[in-house]
Amino acid sequence: MMVVIGLGSPFLTDDSVGPRVVRELAGEEHPGVRFVEAHAGGLLLLEELSGTRGAIIIDALLDENLPPGEVVVSGIQRASHNAACSHDCGLPEALDIGRAMGMPLPDDSDISLVAVVARDVTTFSEALTPEVEAAVQRACTAVRSILARKNAGSPAEAS
Amino acid sequence: MNQRITIDPITRLEGHGRIEIFLDDAGEVVSAYFQVPELRGFESFCVGRQAEEMPNITNRICGVCPEAHHIAAAKALDELFGTPCLPAAARIRELIYSAFFVTDHTTHFYCLGGPDFIVGPDAPKEERNILGVIRKVGLDAGKAVIACRARNHELIKKLGGRGVHLCGALPGGWSVAVTPEIADEARQIARQNIEFALFSLETFHRIVLGNAAYRDLVQGDLYAHQTYSMGTVDAHNAPNFYDGTIRVVDPAGNEFTRYRPQEYLDHIAEHVEPWTYVKFPYLKEIGWKGFVDGPASGVYQATPLARLNVADRMATPRAQAEFERFFDAFGCRGTGPGGRNSPVHHRLATHWARLIELLYAAERMQELADHPDLCDPKVRQAVSCRAGVGIGSVEAPRGTLTHHFTCDEHGILTSVNLVVGTTNNNAPIGMSIAKAAKGLIHKGVVSDGILNRVEMAFRLYDPCCSCATHAIGTAPLEVTVRRSDDGTILDRISRG
Repeated sequence: MMVVIGLGSPFLTDDSVGPRVVRELAGEEHPGVRFVEAHAGGLLLLEELSGTRGAIIIDALLDENLPPGEVVVSGIQRASHNAACSHDCGLPEALDIGRAMGMPLPDDSDISLVAVVARDVTTFSEALTPEVEAAVQRACTAVRSILARKNAGSPAEAS
Repeated sequence: MNQRITIDPITRLEGHGRIEIFLDDAGEVVSAYFQVPELRGFESFCVGRQAEEMPNITNRICGVCPEAHHIAAAKALDELFGTPCLPAAARIRELIYSAFFVTDHTTHFYCLGGPDFIVGPDAPKEERNILGVIRKVGLDAGKAVIACRARNHELIKKLGGRGVHLCGALPGGWSVAVTPEIADEARQIARQNIEFALFSLETFHRIVLGNAAYRDLVQGDLYAHQTYSMGTVDAHNAPNFYDGTIRVVDPAGNEFTRYRPQEYLDHIAEHVEPWTYVKFPYLKEIGWKGFVDGPASGVYQATPLARLNVADRMATPRAQAEFERFFDAFGCRGTGPGGRNSPVHHRLATHWARLIELLYAAERMQELADHPDLCDPKVRQAVSCRAGVGIGSVEAPRGTLTHHFTCDEHGILTSVNLVVGTTNNNAPIGMSIAKAAKGLIHKGVVSDGILNRVEMAFRLYDPCCSCATHAIGTAPLEVTVRRSDDGTILDRISRG
């Protein structure tokens, strides 16, 4: 089982891009894939990752060096801002804890981050800014591509 | 040459926060402020929407306490639509809410507040976290923490329709009845939660109260404040997280006032300071007298400690035994007016109070899961719109949470006001930080251990500072010492 997690608030302009991408993809046929919307990182993400063989986390990214709407695909070391939950711990620390507990967790290399550079994550609105709206399909394509690559490595779930 | 110390963002609290400490020429603390760059405009965002959307909108305010907002909004809708909640639906709501309390208090003790004691306030910062706790208490304890969170989240998902942001609330009811299979699961989870709560209390007794230095820290003056206390109680003056009347006791333990949540505006007003977006609620009948203690000041706290202070008893047997032990430990049992307990004013005791609430929530889950009518299918009822006002209130883990909606005859919201748990405690948080800073920082000497002890003053309140989680990166902590006249940086300490 793979899990695809859209992180963010659906009511904070570009912060909603993660849930938005997940909603787009959840309507498609993706056998062996579970889609989740979430709003906080750390231990909560650990529970979603438990028992999976891989994960894709989609989130808004604040980076002044990149233009809004740019889609960045990376490993989890490029920490997503929601994945660092100050109420308990960040995602890398949560994974360390889970592994110490013997939880069945995917390797770091099997966790991908699809981040969309945001323009505005503080205004209450359900609409994305135009740059991020235009990036939604590119982010979806990036997720599909990762899923296809993972499924190619796992024929049992590819059908 | 005055100095300014900034701690930004604060570690181990929900959302962003910043502490500003101002030093005089001699390096002594003149004042300290707790600032929250909170997102604004949520209430305005909600105006013009259909009222019944509110449980599913407000539960996105925060990534940590969606259940509290969901249930408070549902209770406001009950009143707004004139449809008191059906008994079976109320049981489901409270069962979910109790499970939520178990997870939230567990997370705070083991991940946020507990590391200061279990690992130690002066331990290297790299060890003052949940991994440090696990190293100290043992791997099995860590597994128990993870398992506790997971099983309760799973139950919330089954009862609430969705995991992280549940969606079961309806005006006057709940969307789905409980099946016998889920009821069995709830009973089993409740039993496990009780065992876990007792283990957590035993750990607290052994590691914290069994250590003379920690005991002195908890029972000392550095973190003590004599303010009013607020909390929701049932008809027998036992704390109730889901429903009841709001009771306020004065610093000596006299009942100051008691009111229905719908009357909150008659009792609570909000003071505004120019340096923060967050308001400072105070008791209207006394008035705002500044950031000061005592019966003449309208400052109150609404925390786990406050809830024990306003209570005469706990509603469940094991929690009652621990409640008595708690007040005995501070010499407060039966020493107050009319033989009730004197309030405990040592704010670090909030961590102990939180664990007593954890035990109560677990026991309450068991009561609800064992209720013969838990699986009653009558959980929904027909409702119709009407113009009016709805006010719903619950005890969130961080304090009394109030949702106040007004709608027109079409059920469209015309005004929204939310008073969240942490807002209640905004004034006492600032006071606790200032007192700790003044007691710990002298001659301009600021170390990592000293700063952590200052941070402990706000961490005990478990503040949730933001309407949305926006901790960027690894939430580093930076302390900047500035000259106040021209802002020149004199020193910088960073960690995280």
